[in-house]
Amino acid sequence: MKVIMRSVDMICCTSKEGVITPIKFRITDENKEYKIIRIDKILSRDEEKLAGNRMLVFKVQSVINNCEWLFEMKYEFSTCKWFLYKI
Amino acid sequence: MKRTILHVDVNSAYLSWEAVYALQHGARVDLRTIPSVVGGDEKSRHGIVLAKSIPAKKFNIKTGEVLWSARMKCPNLVVLPPSYSLYIQCSNALVNLLKEYSPLVERYSIDECFMDLTGHCRNKSFEETAWEIKERCREELGFTVNVGISSNKLLAKMASEFEKPDKMHTLYPHEIPKKLWPLPVRELFLAGPRTIPVLYKLNIFTIGQLAHASPALLKQHLKSHGITLWKYANGIDNSPVTPGERIIKGIGNSTTTPFDVDNKKEAFLYLLSLTETVAMRLRDKGMMARVVAVTIRDTQLSFFSHQRKLAVPSNNTDYLYNEAKRLFTEMWQGNPLRHFGVHLSELTGNEFCQTSLFDNDFVLRRQSLDKSIDTIRLSHGSGAVIRGAFLHSGIPPLCGGVHESFPNMRSLL
Repeated sequence: MKVIMRSVDMICCTSKEGVITPIKFRITDENKEYKIIRIDKILSRDEEKLAGNRMLVFKVQSVINNCEWLFEMKYEFSTCKWFLYKI
Repeated sequence: MKRTILHVDVNSAYLSWEAVYALQHGARVDLRTIPSVVGGDEKSRHGIVLAKSIPAKKFNIKTGEVLWSARMKCPNLVVLPPSYSLYIQCSNALVNLLKEYSPLVERYSIDECFMDLTGHCRNKSFEETAWEIKERCREELGFTVNVGISSNKLLAKMASEFEKPDKMHTLYPHEIPKKLWPLPVRELFLAGPRTIPVLYKLNIFTIGQLAHASPALLKQHLKSHGITLWKYANGIDNSPVTPGERIIKGIGNSTTTPFDVDNKKEAFLYLLSLTETVAMRLRDKGMMARVVAVTIRDTQLSFFSHQRKLAVPSNNTDYLYNEAKRLFTEMWQGNPLRHFGVHLSELTGNEFCQTSLFDNDFVLRRQSLDKSIDTIRLSHGSGAVIRGAFLHSGIPPLCGGVHESFPNMRSLL
């Protein structure tokens, strides 16, 4: 996987227990058009606090253009931002 | 009772924190593996090296060196601006990790902590716990630390300095002759650039020679500092690990100006700007000051300082500023200046204070004005209320300090 680290617009679900689950996100492609990607499966969910900065790291799986892709998403608590980290 | 003290020191703190943060945010290069430094802003003449990577060290780049000189030594040098809020965040994360092992954690500076582990190690030896802390810092927080273990703070600090990075060292009293005494005397804590030449004149070149020197001789040449050094060389230190804030003995702020100041008007504005910051901090701590000191540095880097004891303690901005102006006028010889500082000491609480016979309603009204301005600035930002004198002057209305809660390095254990 290659490090991308691009911020994305995300729709996620926060359960009443406080568990955050990403559902779908949109990202601009090379033509600056929005592409919507639905997250089909969450393979792992970890928390990191590198440099004291808390982030949730999700390893997820999606079908994009009939092709299955594995990628990593990050959620930064301090800024409430979502990132497409690796693909 | 025999104590066990740990000293945890972050390796190339500012730089490794920047590197870890950058990696977390998708950087492809680890700044720790290339010649890189964290340096101040050259345009505002704060351009010195604050921290350097180990590859930068190989180019003989030194902390405190000016950036242009560092660039001459290594043309491909990567220079990063400092981000103090990130450093506080990293330092807090380190303290929180250490507090999982013992409540007695003292933040000695932004990147150094002392921890008293006495009675806080269950099922593990102190060395195993120290090793675990070191590994957890690397794995969880992403930066490496050096850990020193001993029976007091001085020896623990000396131990963590031995070999870097990412190492754990012990320096128990029985190891002093083998590990501490062969080291050059300049490596000893508090043996600074003024002390070293005196020790060299006394034929003291290693810590061992200092430990075996006569305390009376050292006292004769270095006063009480000589005795302190002799104790340190013998590994004697009984200072406790003190969590929480220390008693403040003085408050000061200083700033390097982006241009040379060659007239009184601008110099006074800088003094006012610094007094605004320092007096606000003083009031925030609920204190008053008895002594005002002004420091200046000219373009030849000569340093001048002048101080005076006030008739009555005060925390009023105008009163302190007028005193600072008077001190400056008495001291300044007209040469262009590049650095100003205002320092307040002999602090007392503000619950009771000696009033002056000459105090009148005007002074009391000034104090309530200060209080109102502080409240507005705290709730709406420091720029919410400024003095008209600063308009279009190019001088910030409040200057000095990088961050209110930024912990400074101390010279006492």
